[in-house]
Amino acid sequence: MAFPRRHALQLVGIAVLLLFTAFFFVPIVWLFLAPTKTDGQLLTQSPFAFGSFHTLGQTFHRIVTYGGHSMLIWLKNSAIYSVGGTALAVLAAIPAGYGLALTHFIGRKALLSITLVVMIMPATALVLPLFLEINKLGLYGTIWSLILPFGFFPFGVYLTYIYFSSTIPKDLLAAARIDGASEWSVFRFIALPLARPIVSLVGFFAFVASWNNFFLPFVMTYDNSQYPVQIGLQQLIGSTASFNPTNFTAGSSIVVLHRPDLAMAVIIAIAPVLIVFLFAQRALVSGMLAGATKE
Amino acid sequence: MATVAFEQATRVYPKSDRAAVDRLDLDVHDGELLVLVGPSGCGKTTSLRMLAGLEHVDDGAIRIDGKDVVDLAPRDRDIAMVFQNYALYPHMNVAQNMGFALRMAGVAKGDIATRVRAAAKILDIEEYLERKPRQLSGGQRQRVAMGRAIVRQPRVFLMDEPLSNLDAKLRVATRAEIASLQRSLGVTTLYVTHDQVEAMTMGDRVAVMRDGVLQQCDTPRTLYADPVNAFVAGFIGSPPMNLVDGIAEAGGVRLGSTLVAAPSVPARPGEAVTVGIRPESLSLAAAGDGIPATVSIVEELGAEAFVYAQLVGADGPVAEGANVKGNVIVRGEPSAAPRNGELVHLLVKEGSTLFFDAASGARLRG
Repeated sequence: MAFPRRHALQLVGIAVLLLFTAFFFVPIVWLFLAPTKTDGQLLTQSPFAFGSFHTLGQTFHRIVTYGGHSMLIWLKNSAIYSVGGTALAVLAAIPAGYGLALTHFIGRKALLSITLVVMIMPATALVLPLFLEINKLGLYGTIWSLILPFGFFPFGVYLTYIYFSSTIPKDLLAAARIDGASEWSVFRFIALPLARPIVSLVGFFAFVASWNNFFLPFVMTYDNSQYPVQIGLQQLIGSTASFNPTNFTAGSSIVVLHRPDLAMAVIIAIAPVLIVFLFAQRALVSGMLAGATKE
Repeated sequence: MATVAFEQATRVYPKSDRAAVDRLDLDVHDGELLVLVGPSGCGKTTSLRMLAGLEHVDDGAIRIDGKDVVDLAPRDRDIAMVFQNYALYPHMNVAQNMGFALRMAGVAKGDIATRVRAAAKILDIEEYLERKPRQLSGGQRQRVAMGRAIVRQPRVFLMDEPLSNLDAKLRVATRAEIASLQRSLGVTTLYVTHDQVEAMTMGDRVAVMRDGVLQQCDTPRTLYADPVNAFVAGFIGSPPMNLVDGIAEAGGVRLGSTLVAAPSVPARPGEAVTVGIRPESLSLAAAGDGIPATVSIVEELGAEAFVYAQLVGADGPVAEGANVKGNVIVRGEPSAAPRNGELVHLLVKEGSTLFFDAASGARLRG
């Protein structure tokens, strides 16, 4: 009996998928296993070997207490910047997207095109002019230097625009206007309650963008007490012996970090985003699917 | 209680060279149910939305109780509207939907609850007050949309094809309900539909529109018996009036080889005219009498039968009708219904024939 051709194709497909899965999973698995091992074990043992919980505890302790609990300060800073930035981004993007989608004003189309153009512009490109602007306003070194820039979130505006223009029937707003609602009331009582999924989605993307932002805080902050966790991670690399062999000699009083500590720090740094995602997941999934089906 | 008046009201959509609503003059009397009817794209919904304030008025005036409202925002016009798709607020329950306008008007919570309950009682939807719109059937949603309108006690009701999303049986039941509700409330109502049966059965008066232009506004009976042009004649009535083109002669109109006798034809001999004959004005006659026709199909409805027939003469089929393609429809008794393909003879009831100008469609009066 000949082996059917479509079975062969199916097998090839599965093999390709497995290969790619392995390719992308290996780094993640390695990252989560690394803190359970000592630096030596990391080099000598199999990449997928589990060290011990004892070592994991030590690694965790070392990274949290490093530099007078710097890690906790950075996390706190990141939280402040990200929550503030997210709040501002949502406050600005949701009404802006609503306005672009459901109201009429002169220059609406032009504004929409500009939103699209700046959306594809890399955020890094704006960091230098932003720095000059913030500096002129005397906000350099304050938390506002890292929160105010998130008021400009064209991606969020565009997402909101798509959501409102595809899911909210115009008659719904017309009905509210006839029912005596002012433009503000139409937004507040009709559009906004129906936009909960998109508020979560825009909020989530803004949070991730702010939390993972490196270049902006790199330019805007100058002191350890101001650093967010992403800048902190860079500091940690500077304190890791294997990445800076000449700085650390035996017997030096400086606390020396090792590669498993760094892996631990990375895990701590991404944990808040994971937690936010888990909590927002239900709202996020419904936001991503909104408009896909007609009710 | 209010009157509504459109005065030369015009709407031209941007980038369009033709007016969607062209110099509309229309008076809606106090407490009247006036139906705007016409084929899709005739401007009836645009007219309604102009009155609601949802559509810009390019020229002319629209008055409610004599006051021009063209520059007023929808919220300041004191009108309520029932939308084709109901436009219920999906995140609010029925009571909140119905009470929204009162809440916007700053009515006290207790009063809102009382008035919502009273309106719900009228519409028999009290048991659904806590439900969300998506938990309701189409008919229930339609009632909630009505409830949202009546709870406000506005000066004018606007209804934009409120029955078009209901199934046929429910539509018939609901149209009687809406008509009787409107009469008991006595609120001036402008009602839009494309369905001429709905228009005829519900309206105190019916305004027929075509291509943005008002054709005729009168009582259903007058529209049926005395249409001003061939369009109204063909649009009003189901099945529609038979419109057949012919040539005027002394003593009648010649359709092909047959002369349809008429005591006074309001056209000079030799002029092209369109003859309008209602299906009930035609009857089957014995051979040798009347106009010969071949039966193409018979629709039996129980109480009556519609015979679709093709007029024939000595030299073949007669000119095609404007809205009845080459055919005439005869309303007859099911017991006397002919068979398909049979040759029949049609008699025209005396004095029932209407004449229209073949080119313009305007009514020719004797």
